[in-house]
Amino acid sequence: MAHSTINQYLQQVYEAIDGRDGSFCSELLSFKHPHVANPRLQLASPEEKCQQLLEPPYDEMVAAHLRCTYAVSNHDFVEAYKAFQSHKEENWALPVMFAVTLDLRIFANNAEQQLQKKGKGQPAEMLEKAAEQLMSCFRVCASDNRAGVEDSKKWGMMFLSNQLFKIYFKINKLHLCKPLIRAIDSSNLKNDFSPAQKVTYRYYTGRKAMFDSDFKPAEEFLSYAFHHCHRSSQRNKRMILIYLLPVKMLLGHMPTHQLLRKYDLMQFADVTKGVSEGNLLLLNEALNKHETFFIRCGIFLILEKLKIITYRNLFKKVYLLLRTHQLPLASFLVSLQMMQLQDVDLDEVQCILANLIYMGHIKGYISQQHQKLVVSKQNPFPALSSIS
Amino acid sequence: MSRRRAPRRISLSQRRDAPAGGEWRQRTEEQRRGKAEVREVEEEERQEHHGKESVPRGTCQTMCPTRELQDRQLQNCLHRFELLAGTERDRRPRGDPLRAVKEYSRPAAGKDSTNSSDLRPAAVLLKTVCYLIDKVAASPHLRPWTEVYNFVFDRLRGVKQDMIIQRTSGLNCVAILERAVRFLIYASYRLCGEPLRLYDPRINDTHLQENLSWLLDCYATGTEPHPNQEEFQALGLLYNLGSARAAQHIMELPERLRCSPAITLALSINRAFHERNPVRVLRLARRLNFMQSCALHRHLVSCRRDLLLIYSHGFSSRNCRFPLDRLAQLLCLDASLTTRLCQAHGVEVNRDSQLIFSKAAFTEPEQLHCKLYHNIVAEKQRDLSVGDIIHGCT
Repeated sequence: MAHSTINQYLQQVYEAIDGRDGSFCSELLSFKHPHVANPRLQLASPEEKCQQLLEPPYDEMVAAHLRCTYAVSNHDFVEAYKAFQSHKEENWALPVMFAVTLDLRIFANNAEQQLQKKGKGQPAEMLEKAAEQLMSCFRVCASDNRAGVEDSKKWGMMFLSNQLFKIYFKINKLHLCKPLIRAIDSSNLKNDFSPAQKVTYRYYTGRKAMFDSDFKPAEEFLSYAFHHCHRSSQRNKRMILIYLLPVKMLLGHMPTHQLLRKYDLMQFADVTKGVSEGNLLLLNEALNKHETFFIRCGIFLILEKLKIITYRNLFKKVYLLLRTHQLPLASFLVSLQMMQLQDVDLDEVQCILANLIYMGHIKGYISQQHQKLVVSKQNPFPALSSIS
Repeated sequence: MSRRRAPRRISLSQRRDAPAGGEWRQRTEEQRRGKAEVREVEEEERQEHHGKESVPRGTCQTMCPTRELQDRQLQNCLHRFELLAGTERDRRPRGDPLRAVKEYSRPAAGKDSTNSSDLRPAAVLLKTVCYLIDKVAASPHLRPWTEVYNFVFDRLRGVKQDMIIQRTSGLNCVAILERAVRFLIYASYRLCGEPLRLYDPRINDTHLQENLSWLLDCYATGTEPHPNQEEFQALGLLYNLGSARAAQHIMELPERLRCSPAITLALSINRAFHERNPVRVLRLARRLNFMQSCALHRHLVSCRRDLLLIYSHGFSSRNCRFPLDRLAQLLCLDASLTTRLCQAHGVEVNRDSQLIFSKAAFTEPEQLHCKLYHNIVAEKQRDLSVGDIIHGCT
């Protein structure tokens, strides 16, 4: 296969199309298959050859693919993929589309990096173009209403939206995810896609919910992804955890040391320790130390939200030390100053306490006249997991 | 080299001229600006002529294309700010070529908007923007300001359209967008509370976001140094306080930028906002300059509301009292406005100027006149003129 001539190759493609063999055809058009390394196929202008053997629109599609092997750079070869649209009430070509669109995204990514290095072009231009192409495929799939469930192109929706999510997250345009999510959530196939696709889909929808500060659904989606992710895909599980951990922590569940060690996520160790001990200083140091990592993952701002819980844990310690239900505000101020918080005063202590009371982390009230926090005699610091 | 120096010279000369601001000075300044830009645009044109053959290039050297001026004169469609002095009362007033500015016109099928004699090159566009600021927005004679706003808003939109058609980039583009963003931010503060038919905050916001994100893209792609970048990155964050996307954008900036004073302050405010610590937000807000306060202004209402909301819960006890003047300090308001705001939110104020917080009593006000509570921004304007504000002299 890796040494076949152009005629042999085209013959194979012809037979695959003729026999409606989607998976073999997809291999023949994928960059994961060894044929792309075959110098006899790397032609600058294979159009004529393709036209001789294949019917339109496949001739254009294969020609574009071969040109691409020649250039191994970004070409809009999905443009030629309009073929897909003409398959009325059939979906055997879905694997082909998957292979081609996957390649498109990867090439767009590479092209993007290349252009950035040279300092040319608008940022994200290539990725946006690729997204446009993917979106036109998505539309074809989503609007395939007439075919029966078995033959529906709707089975392609989740794969495409996953590819699009990857791009949108990369170019920081999360708002574009919304229509895709809506389309899939309203689809009656949503529970029947392949597990691999569902895991990826949940991973991205979980991240999206996290950025919208919808932590409950975020936890649900990311937990689903984590539990259903294949056990051999350690790297993917790690990626899911990077987002699942902050969400779990915000909801009061702290990860164990073993878990962090197992997935090589020790960057979270001091964060976890700081939060659960109420050690604001340690938390701030940990955030500073691993700032680059957290920013790159896009979770720095979410981790900063852990400060509210850290205040709660710190103040609980003050309560446990003083062993009274009427706590002087000045002692909270001292505790914050110990954590080297800059320019705090009693006004801010009151504000932080008022917010904790409002959120339900502390049961009690503040007395301005007496400068005291009066806490409930029963369970003044309810368990984190019982809140919200 | 001249490309680099040109914009600096603009800002320097502005700063020197700003306090006095005499008529003749402004004129010489404009001439100076003009020369620097002509040189710049020539260079840019030379560079861009390779490769981009299909992009339309404007040749119109005036603020308004001759044809449009004639057409609008015939149709009696000239704005009163564009009329030739002395002809205003005529049956068909004449347009003043030195005051008429190309209108924004919606793209429509069959309309050719790429005609090069109708498009203005980047340097002319910048001159147009400077005219709109110096002679219209900052003019003490043209009023009411809502009309000034609508005129400038429309003409700036026209400028932006010309830029999009010609795919303008580079320093002129940055200089134009920076002024447009400042104008729209300033307007969002100054016109707050105006009736909807005169000023629509939603539309202003849409255009502001578009201009801002284009500007930030220019910073990201441009290789030239941008002396105002910190200012606008900070403004973007303050204006979009609480938005995950804006904050993530700032976090991804190079550390050198992120550590600049303006951005550090904006980040602290954003952090305090996220921690729902309105006391800290309002305290830090006092350190902002006028333009930054304008950008933050639209969040002040919700910030004060948050404060009253969490205090209604935190201090909720029948026997407790909270002194009014203390709260007034925290809110950065005087006693009477504090009382008014508290009552609007259902917080009881007794005869001894004490507040009785109760979580059950807190209510969301139906309509709040943000404008009443503007003092925290207003006091920063001091003697800054509109021209200074939009050109960026602080």
